[in-house]
Amino acid sequence: MKTRVVVGSAIASLAVLVTGWVVGTTSNIPVATSATKLADGKYTGDTEQTRYGAVQVEITVSGGAITDVAALQLTNADSRSQEISNTAAPILRDEVLKAQTASVATVSGATYTTEGYLTSLQSALDKAKA
Amino acid sequence: MTATVSRPAVIQRTTAQNRVVQFKRRSAAADALAISAYTSAAIAVALFLAAHGPNQFGTLAASVTSIGILCGLVGADFVLIMLVLAARVPLIDRAVGHDRAMALHRTLGKPALYLLLGHGLLILTGYAMAAGVNPIAEIGALWALPDVPLAIIALGLFITVVVTSLVAVRRKFPYEFWHAIHLLSYLAVAFAIPHQFSEGGVLAAGFSRAYWVALYIVALGSILVFRFVLPVVRSIRHGIRVSAIEKVGPDVVNIYLSGRDLKALRPAGGQFFVWRFFTGSTWWHAHPISLSASPSNTEARITVRALGNGSARLAKLPIGTRVWFEGPYGIFTDAARTSPKLAIVAAGIGVTPVRALFEHSRLAPGEATVLLRATSEEQSYLWDELEALAKQRGANFYTMVGPRARGGDTWMSQLDLERHVSLRSAFPDLANSDLYVCGPQAWTDLVVEDARANGLPDHQIHTERFDW
Repeated sequence: MKTRVVVGSAIASLAVLVTGWVVGTTSNIPVATSATKLADGKYTGDTEQTRYGAVQVEITVSGGAITDVAALQLTNADSRSQEISNTAAPILRDEVLKAQTASVATVSGATYTTEGYLTSLQSALDKAKA
Repeated sequence: MTATVSRPAVIQRTTAQNRVVQFKRRSAAADALAISAYTSAAIAVALFLAAHGPNQFGTLAASVTSIGILCGLVGADFVLIMLVLAARVPLIDRAVGHDRAMALHRTLGKPALYLLLGHGLLILTGYAMAAGVNPIAEIGALWALPDVPLAIIALGLFITVVVTSLVAVRRKFPYEFWHAIHLLSYLAVAFAIPHQFSEGGVLAAGFSRAYWVALYIVALGSILVFRFVLPVVRSIRHGIRVSAIEKVGPDVVNIYLSGRDLKALRPAGGQFFVWRFFTGSTWWHAHPISLSASPSNTEARITVRALGNGSARLAKLPIGTRVWFEGPYGIFTDAARTSPKLAIVAAGIGVTPVRALFEHSRLAPGEATVLLRATSEEQSYLWDELEALAKQRGANFYTMVGPRARGGDTWMSQLDLERHVSLRSAFPDLANSDLYVCGPQAWTDLVVEDARANGLPDHQIHTERFDW
């Protein structure tokens, strides 16, 4: 193989990989602030339909902060989806309680569950702000 | 008088300069193709990183799964590159030649399979780790996912295709059987697609999805256009039929073909076509055969030796047999030249593309030297024609007849080896020549080895395979 091909491929590949990495790191950083104050109480989020089943959460707000997230429905289309849900839900709950927002990182291998979970959570937060 | 003397020199210089420019353009195009092929693997990885970021590697289980996904993405990228390489895209054929494209296609086969196997195993392991069960127990859960059973069938097909293409295995089967199995790779690609777009989070949305869809369209589109549509359209348009068959030696025949508007194909001397002769027993057999003479607008000629069962039947083709074809292909032509002189070495039936190449080339007296090689006088097919052409163009013409010298590491005859004939003595100006070699593969390799040992750079060596 010619040097020109090796060097060219190496430089082009490196540039592409670094770009991918930078985009991935910056767009997936959790935003740790909640803009408006939340009213205390329990709020149920909308039901989100995913290809592996419906997802719905309920949040508890006390003292203006999210103190609990309960999953009312989780992806359960098949045994694999249930596994994923059982793994992802506690992680998502912890992340949300830490970040106090719906902008948290996707749980790997649970893209659909995460999306449904966070969208439902956001609708609950919107209700809490109202 | 000075003006008339200097004119040919000026023409020669511009031809030489043109050749250098053409060569630089071709190698730049070849390098650009190679770089984009390798970089496409990096793009596959980068799109995954961009979509999910570092959190995909948060835990060990997640890391294993992510690496599994990356293996699948790069594996799929390799498979698509292999499709493009096998599609006989004119741009690729002109830049690197069909045989080098296929060599890269073969090189990618095993890595692609390993990546796809790794993809399956790593994802199984990653999922099992996340669920806290052993991988065997996880198989059932994986199988239950939408589109995954199809993908597993696709993997099985890929294994079959690659295993039957291993040199040792491939030799055991007739070409047609191997080819039929190889066609299963289209099915494998098709079966693998659904899970990539449904299950695969990366391909499911956004820019990444658009990029992969585009890749699939380019790869499958080039197969469809250049392997199916174009050959069918051309075959119908040019309406080629067998017009005469003439015996030129034991097992060797000239097949004369007649058709319409053949000039439009712009076949360069030395190029080959893949022919299909439509009789009951030969239509399913595709023959890659070079033209053995420059075609006119309505007439062309190929010369065939009975190398296999299929080719043996060609000697008995009825006049008027309809002929379908793909091509022209290959860069064993005048267009690939980089040097002022032309050196040709051909053995046996390898004389055919060389004969057309020579006829097609514009040659100054003394520019070309031809050396024809045969084991016995019986194999001196088309030698009389080439000798007449050589005389007419002022080229040097040599022949070398006799069995190869014992020991097996020389391309020359015993007699000439004893007389201390060498590549240098036959081609004194070898360093300033383009060497075109055509003959049986093992023999060709020996000539190329000899030329390299004489310091000839690779871009001045041009070969054509004749055993496939």
